[in-house]
Amino acid sequence: MVEEKKNGGRWVGASLPRKEENRLLRGRGKFADDIKLHEMLYLRFVRSPYAHARIVSVDTAAAEALPGVACTITGKEIAAQTHPFIEIGPDHAQKIRDYPMAVEKARYQGEPVAAVLAESPSLADDAAELVVVEYDPLDPVVDAEEALKDRSILHEEAGTNKVWNGVWEYGDVETAFKEAAYVVNIDRMHFHRFSSTPLENNVVIGQWNAKDDNIYYWCNNSFPSFALQFLAAHLGIPIDRIRAQTFDIGGSFGIKITSYPQMAVCALASKKAGGRPVKWVETRSEHMVSSAHGNERTFRDTRVALDKEGVITAIDSRHIDDCGAYPRYEPLGCVIWSQVFCGVYRFKNARIDFWQAVTNKCPVGPNRGYSRMQHLWFLERVVDICAHQIDIAPDEMRLRNYIRPEEFPYTTPNGCVYDSGNYPKMLDVAKGLIGWDEWKKRQADARKEGRLIGLGIGTTLDSGTNNFGQSQIVNPYAPFSGNSQGANCKLDIYGEVVVAVGSCPQGQGHETTAAQVVADVLNVHPDMITVRTGFDTERNVHTGFSGTYASQFAVSGLSAVHGAAQKLKAEMTRLAAFVLETKEDDLEFGVGQQGAEVKASSTGKSINYWGLANIVNVNSAVLPTEMHDVTLNCRYIWRAPFKVPDKEKKYGSLTLTYASQLHMAVVEIERDTFVPKILDYVAVDDCGTVINPPIVEGQVYGATAHGIGAALMETCAYDAVGNMLTSTFSDYTPITSVNIPKIKYGHISTPSPHSYSGAKGMGEGGAAPIHTISSALQDALFAQGIFIDDSFNNADSIFRALKKHDGGDLAKLVKVEKR
Amino acid sequence: MAIKFAGEFEAKKKPEEIYDFLTDPNKFASLLPDFQGLTVQDATHFTVRVNVGISYIKGTADVKMELTEAQRPQRAQYKGQGSMAGGNVTVVAGFDLAPIASGTKVAWQGEAQVFGRLTSVAGGLLEPLGKKQIQKLIDGLQAALT
Repeated sequence: MVEEKKNGGRWVGASLPRKEENRLLRGRGKFADDIKLHEMLYLRFVRSPYAHARIVSVDTAAAEALPGVACTITGKEIAAQTHPFIEIGPDHAQKIRDYPMAVEKARYQGEPVAAVLAESPSLADDAAELVVVEYDPLDPVVDAEEALKDRSILHEEAGTNKVWNGVWEYGDVETAFKEAAYVVNIDRMHFHRFSSTPLENNVVIGQWNAKDDNIYYWCNNSFPSFALQFLAAHLGIPIDRIRAQTFDIGGSFGIKITSYPQMAVCALASKKAGGRPVKWVETRSEHMVSSAHGNERTFRDTRVALDKEGVITAIDSRHIDDCGAYPRYEPLGCVIWSQVFCGVYRFKNARIDFWQAVTNKCPVGPNRGYSRMQHLWFLERVVDICAHQIDIAPDEMRLRNYIRPEEFPYTTPNGCVYDSGNYPKMLDVAKGLIGWDEWKKRQADARKEGRLIGLGIGTTLDSGTNNFGQSQIVNPYAPFSGNSQGANCKLDIYGEVVVAVGSCPQGQGHETTAAQVVADVLNVHPDMITVRTGFDTERNVHTGFSGTYASQFAVSGLSAVHGAAQKLKAEMTRLAAFVLETKEDDLEFGVGQQGAEVKASSTGKSINYWGLANIVNVNSAVLPTEMHDVTLNCRYIWRAPFKVPDKEKKYGSLTLTYASQLHMAVVEIERDTFVPKILDYVAVDDCGTVINPPIVEGQVYGATAHGIGAALMETCAYDAVGNMLTSTFSDYTPITSVNIPKIKYGHISTPSPHSYSGAKGMGEGGAAPIHTISSALQDALFAQGIFIDDSFNNADSIFRALKKHDGGDLAKLVKVEKR
Repeated sequence: MAIKFAGEFEAKKKPEEIYDFLTDPNKFASLLPDFQGLTVQDATHFTVRVNVGISYIKGTADVKMELTEAQRPQRAQYKGQGSMAGGNVTVVAGFDLAPIASGTKVAWQGEAQVFGRLTSVAGGLLEPLGKKQIQKLIDGLQAALT
């Protein structure tokens, strides 16, 4: 039994330890790699060393001759028996032929070219080295702006490297610029490419069963509903003949959504091997070069109009997104950023010309804060650069531009509805926690000593529960809209309450929070609720949107759980009223001497859950006909109240809830080494009603660590010919506990009117540390004439920025026109 | 990852003799550092097997060489492509020969491009190691031509 800390009579909001902790922390979790099957084969990929090369020949003879090797499979073999993957993009993007392994050409370093299946992982490793691939190297293109020139084309069938282009324009941009007191011009800014490094890499076991011609997957894909839709069309098999199961998952952060190509290979390899199950366990270096990276984005020719008070009145900018070699989840990123079109600010006039291109780099996936963090970073840079240029303190600049608390629910220029928030209050709480005024004094003193200390602010949003109708903005024919989630709540034969959800938790505590919700409905203890998490097609509780992604479980998942629990309670109430011979409104739910029960207040008679379940399941002759629809097994599908957005105007509600975060950092740059060091850090969060405070706090710490790593340590660096230079942890240097500063945590709550509980999705953190550290570095270096124009900053880049400034190159980066 | 190299030295032999040496795979190939074996396909194509190793990454590489420019006695250029554990390499190496009073001035230049995991695993080591290997080749060449 867990420690009881009920929240004013409710379990929702109570600080319960996580139910899954006992299993996960004692090494008793069950992960995909724990699955061992009879006659299982092990798959090893042969990968292209070239970023762009024609495949002249693939010779697998030596590998196949090695004892213990079952067979090999090549891209050509796969192309001969499958359809290319579905392309989400319109027009020419529909012509891209994307297969799970390279067929005619390799388009990024690390792209699979062939695969070897052997009786053991080490045999597969040895055999893979015997596959001889002859390549004819082609000119690679590793920069999205360069790619748009189409000098070297990745997908000849599409005829261009452009994936998508569209303009978002609202208000009267030109008039705003004519009437502006200041116009700030920023030539170029760049959001770097980084990824996530989950403890558990991708794992797939696939079996194309020769007996029933069904495909079985045991895997850790984090959005299986999406993957199965792609796989069924690719493999040419009815979706009902694919069974997928997930288990405990050791982190995803979105990038495990795009493991469906490897899932396809495992199934096809199994088919070739006569139906034997095939396991692929990704190595860390494979993960770094070829799982998925986050989107890289360049912001060009930005113009910002401001009035004389420093209030932003218009923004005009061109954004170029780099999606790597194949647009696998893309071009959804071309619209998803617009969920947070104006960030936390009030400007109404804006024009964003958005482009996306393929390059010879690892394909991107929906990495934590997907597509929105790039845009939010851009807006925070705009605010800080303008503040410094027109000499307004960055905290004051934000207060002048924030959406005001009384304006919620707030409709953005593109029709999104921000449910609730109080950004000035978050700023106030953060300033109090960090000791802003004291730090300002210390900063002034330190500057006199020649020290470079900066204070930074990052205000950001975590939009959760997508309207998939936004896909129709990038492709009017995309057959997706709305959002839904399923759950099942039942009393099993012995009266145990069992909840099943179609989510794939990776540490978010779904078992605990779902139990809290059901415990409140039935007025029992959360430990009396069993929650089955992990996706399983055969539990039949999933919809086409089921999975764990995009900050939505607290809203979509728990709304489904709540709906299913209410349905169950309604059935239990009918049944108990019949058994106890009383009216439904005379009944009380609670816990008695015989466990969880339903009691008649008037008579004191009660029936426990076992009794109710017994009648329905194994003693049903006592039920009258009018009670035959009572099953005590209740499936509920929650649907988000969305409409299809206006595709032409790019207008509509794209997300249901908007959690917000405000971070502050004090950063010092060592004068001799240029190493940036965090001296103080605060994270303030507002995710509405909190279901479980420790879980929220834990996710805030996790997202903060991820963001600090991205800001200062982690980058997917490529050289000019497309070699990934950071494909090991030695080079990528993911953040560890040693590098994380002490984080002061604060919380405010503005409950969402858009969810039944007032909760908002959270967990991605909106990449607040990246904005915040950029802001602090600029504050530290502005006096040196430095603008922070890149999201990745380490000692080397700061040294180079200072050198660049010495050469006078930075003068053209930012220009201010005072009218 | 590109490694560029260039330099020159003087040899006592005539340009024709040096040219003939450079374009004879049986003579030239054996000067390659860590040379293991040679298979000659025709007058302009041969494959050399060399030992390669950076730290714990060790193995052999088969490098396919092609004599792409042959202007006796002024210039010879090779292009090569090879693969090894963790990466591929392409090399272009040219030799310009000019007669001088004491014999021949040999100007050499080229570029090696390294592709693959090797660039990440051993990125920082590749350039100095590559240059060291090239220097070994040139030293051997100088010794053979003196």
